[in-house]
Amino acid sequence: MNRFKLIDAGRILLLVVAVAAVALPLLWVALASFKTPADLNQPGILWFTPTMANWTEVLSSDIFAAVGRSVLVATITVAIAVVVGSMGAYSIARFSTGGSLSRFGILAAQVLPPAVLVFPFLSVAYMLRLNGTLVPIIFSHLSFVVPVVTWFLIGFFAAVPKEIEEQARVDGFGRFDTFRLVVLPQVLPGIGAAAIFGFTLSWNDMFYGLILSPSNSTILPVAIAGFNTFRGVELGPMSVAILIAIIPVVIASFFVQKRLVQGISGGAVKG
Amino acid sequence: MARVTFDNVVKKYGDNTIVKGLDLELPDGAFTVLVGPSGCGKTTTLRMIAGLEPVTSGSIRIGDKDVTTLEPKDRDIAMVFQNYALYPHLTVRENLAFPLRAIHVNRAEALARAEAVATTMGLSELLDRKPKDLSGGQQQRVAIGRAIIREPSVFLFDEPLSNLDAKLRVEMRTELLQMQRRLGITSLFVTHDQEEAMTLSDFIVVMRDGEVAQQGKPKDVYDKPNSTFVASFVGSPKMNLLEGTFSAGKFVSESGLTLAVAGVAAGTKILGVRPDDIVLEVGGKSASRGRVGVIELLGPRAIVQVDAAGHSLTAVVEASRMDGIVEGAEVGVSIRPGSHHLFDIATGLRV
Amino acid sequence: MKFQNAMMAPLLSVMAVAVGFPLLYSFWLGFTSYQLVSGGVTDFVGLDNYIRVLSDPDYWASLSATATYVFLSVTFELIIGLTIALALQSQKWFTNFTRSFLLAPMFITPIAVGLMFRFFLNDQLGAIPYYLDQVGLSYDFFGSGRALISLAFIDVWQWTPFMVLLLLAGLESIPKQPVEAARVDGANRFYIFRRVTLPMLSPILIVAVLLRGLDALKVFEYVYATTRGGPGIETKTIQYLTYQNGISYFRLAEASAMAFILLIIVMGVIVLLFRRLERVNVR
Repeated sequence: MNRFKLIDAGRILLLVVAVAAVALPLLWVALASFKTPADLNQPGILWFTPTMANWTEVLSSDIFAAVGRSVLVATITVAIAVVVGSMGAYSIARFSTGGSLSRFGILAAQVLPPAVLVFPFLSVAYMLRLNGTLVPIIFSHLSFVVPVVTWFLIGFFAAVPKEIEEQARVDGFGRFDTFRLVVLPQVLPGIGAAAIFGFTLSWNDMFYGLILSPSNSTILPVAIAGFNTFRGVELGPMSVAILIAIIPVVIASFFVQKRLVQGISGGAVKG
Repeated sequence: MARVTFDNVVKKYGDNTIVKGLDLELPDGAFTVLVGPSGCGKTTTLRMIAGLEPVTSGSIRIGDKDVTTLEPKDRDIAMVFQNYALYPHLTVRENLAFPLRAIHVNRAEALARAEAVATTMGLSELLDRKPKDLSGGQQQRVAIGRAIIREPSVFLFDEPLSNLDAKLRVEMRTELLQMQRRLGITSLFVTHDQEEAMTLSDFIVVMRDGEVAQQGKPKDVYDKPNSTFVASFVGSPKMNLLEGTFSAGKFVSESGLTLAVAGVAAGTKILGVRPDDIVLEVGGKSASRGRVGVIELLGPRAIVQVDAAGHSLTAVVEASRMDGIVEGAEVGVSIRPGSHHLFDIATGLRV
Repeated sequence: MKFQNAMMAPLLSVMAVAVGFPLLYSFWLGFTSYQLVSGGVTDFVGLDNYIRVLSDPDYWASLSATATYVFLSVTFELIIGLTIALALQSQKWFTNFTRSFLLAPMFITPIAVGLMFRFFLNDQLGAIPYYLDQVGLSYDFFGSGRALISLAFIDVWQWTPFMVLLLLAGLESIPKQPVEAARVDGANRFYIFRRVTLPMLSPILIVAVLLRGLDALKVFEYVYATTRGGPGIETKTIQYLTYQNGISYFRLAEASAMAFILLIIVMGVIVLLFRRLERVNVR
């Protein structure tokens, strides 16, 4: 009995340390967002008078325009990814279309270094005179969100019992109607999780955004990087910007956690 | 209401021939049961009628229409699966109404018809429940109701009673039969349970290894099985089969069991006797004697196992005639006249 | 068209446009002298770009730095991740909260994480150096010889949760009977872990290491946020170097060649990973 207690205590200690390790930098940033430049120069002080100056400065800047653009890009990317990906994932899960080649292709597309694809996007954007728009970014985001979403959904589709589809076909529905009316409702939770996951991937990208978005109307991660100027330390406002990027995503992660384990089990573990 | 005809239908998976040149005609409006041991091809045959399995060669007709290449939705059939396949995201009412959506019946009429069917099946109180909140028997009723609602030409049942407990199974058998009589729709029911097959069917098809072993009215198949396989498969307890020589009104087995059997041409054959046709006499004058082994009491009857000359025979004895028949007792064994079945030793076929 | 192919068609079309076409174009670019400023005028220069890249010592230094980075981060992520996953598996209280909280870092945009640590570890403004100083230790996180390690540390902070996720999924999908049987047979926890759990987990461990490793290869944001390749070229990882060539110096063609070499390395690893996955499936 004693040995059990020791291991359990160790386990809990480990988790506490882990939680603290995650929380500390975040807390520090949160605190920093309320500090004046003077206070920021003294990392040791624990008590300080909070100021809203950083918040007002950032919130009244055009950071929300950048947020809006990130939302737009992510939404369009995810919408396309879910439609295209669910159809493809269903085909792969149910019919093993393309055999190992399709699974390989999806895996490969997920791990492609962005450096390989970005220059063609840039070049074509210029050629088609789309370099002032968000279109190149959307395409570049599709290149990694679509494979991930598809891969994620394969497991969910494979879990739908074949009998339900056969029943629908016998009940008088064609194959696509069966997919639409009977199979999709079963995988809705998986699609929700995939959408959130895909949205987060798009939301977080900076590489493509840095290179492909117009300099005066950029997406959020690039805007945040903009606070990192070598001219002076804009730590306060930067902390606010970081929090704006972090908070929605951390909240989303709470909702998605359970489904993520399910999706990864379906896709990665079972190959 | 339609006949179902199979014309030399073959089904292969790669090099494996599951169904070999099947020729079948299921009578219009009848309740046909397809029965056989696992792997005989009965479920594959059913699924080919449904259109869920493609046919390798041959043709299938429903009525006069060749449906061999048609999608399931174009065949005017309904099917009930072993695990009912109810749509988990829909209520009972929506499950029942679902097939009507496929033929574009308007929503109000569909729901009204769903409620009518629910009343027929005794499901009216459950209309707003989801499948996971229903018992096995209730789920099955919903599955059947969903099959009825379109009034198709053919009903297909894939072992729908196998998941129910014994008592429920017997109840549902009766309900199913009553429903089919009322609607008069050609039905094909697949099962591995020969008792179920015998009690339900107007017409029975016994399958083995992808071929039809025997088809016909249940009574005919029971009374005149055309092979040792059918003879032992149909009827419970199993028919006793003995190999031996017939001559001069007697049957003598290899190990010396002698039985009086009149009217059989001389030669070596297989003798088949149903347990009901074996007569046991305590004391008695019969030349063949045996010792009683295990007795199973079934209320009105008893299954008595008898060891005679090295053979283990099974007999069924009326409860009223069980006096003196106890474990270890010595009994005389004889066969009711005219109740014997004869099979060729080499082929197993009836002679 | 067959139903299953019709269902794949939209996916394949999008992938062809978003991945297939750029891939081919990039391949072609690597053989040209294209520069964004030249306005579309390109000469075919054969393998010149590749030769130039492969004979540049800075390129090899970059590969080496990247390899070190990947090795450090993945190793620690694996060890720490496995420990946390095991701890989480037997967790009974606050399961959802702990899991969600511990998974959170992987969802944050990497540039934000990079900037966060840039200042958290900054020798003048950061909390950690300040407290280390109080205890008498002085450690320049971004100094020579240490910057790369600090970057790996940032990677560990952000991506260990991903490892935990994969390993948790793996732990929950391996059969429980062998473990129970071993326990009934009297084995102690460590023995069970080493001889029963770990072998069953090994295919998943391999997948996790390879997935994470391939992702770590692409590190860019942390470098951009903190050291910009410095001190010197110590932290000039491959993706950062490629970015510099292409965007800062406008040498798109050369950058494409650089990227493609990396692609070949990555593809090699993927084929290996895939063979391993197939073997697991067959088993």
